[in-house]
Amino acid sequence: MNMLPITAKELEYIADSLSNEDLLIKQCTAGALSCTNPQISQVLMHQAQVHQSQYQALLGCLQQHQSLAPTQPQG
Amino acid sequence: MNQQFMPDEDLAYTVLSDLKRVTREYATAATEAVCPTVRQHFTQLLNTTLAMQGELYNAMSQQKMYNTASPALRQEIDKQFKEYQQTQQKTNQFVQQRKSAPQAAQPQWGYQQAPVWQQPSYMPQGAQQHQSGMQHSHTPYM
Repeated sequence: MNMLPITAKELEYIADSLSNEDLLIKQCTAGALSCTNPQISQVLMHQAQVHQSQYQALLGCLQQHQSLAPTQPQG
Repeated sequence: MNQQFMPDEDLAYTVLSDLKRVTREYATAATEAVCPTVRQHFTQLLNTTLAMQGELYNAMSQQKMYNTASPALRQEIDKQFKEYQQTQQKTNQFVQQRKSAPQAAQPQWGYQQAPVWQQPSYMPQGAQQHQSGMQHSHTPYM
């Protein structure tokens, strides 16, 4: 699949998404530990891991685009 | 003394509402992506997050942590059904009229086929011939 340099807007979305995923990792982990209901606790524990892999995927997406990005503003 | 940080249902609800919000954000991000790989990433994240929201909702609902809204009344459904049946009839008439009008200005609207990367990764019935090289983003997360 062809890759284009990302726009400033896409970069903002990726950065916002990283901070969302980061928050969810912490929320799920803390929640799973403090939750007394075993079923909910298990779901949260599992989802904390999924959010970690989503975070990694977003980082990977940024990395893929590093080399494509211009270093000077384009007309 | 194990003081709970928050009652279980509040805790679960906080995560659930964040999952709902993030789902919307991924949908917006996917629709506004320019780079095809970025779009694909966001589509994948959208599907996974949506699945997680469903999973947490189901768990909460099984634990009676979620009060579902009371069911809509029969007469309200009947009313909407009738109304939109009429709308459908009128719209069908409109479509038929435009299609059968002689030499209508159809070409001027110039329906343009979307670029290949914009085509959905799911396959609508009968649209298989549109299938691009895009990967399925359907795979459920593990």
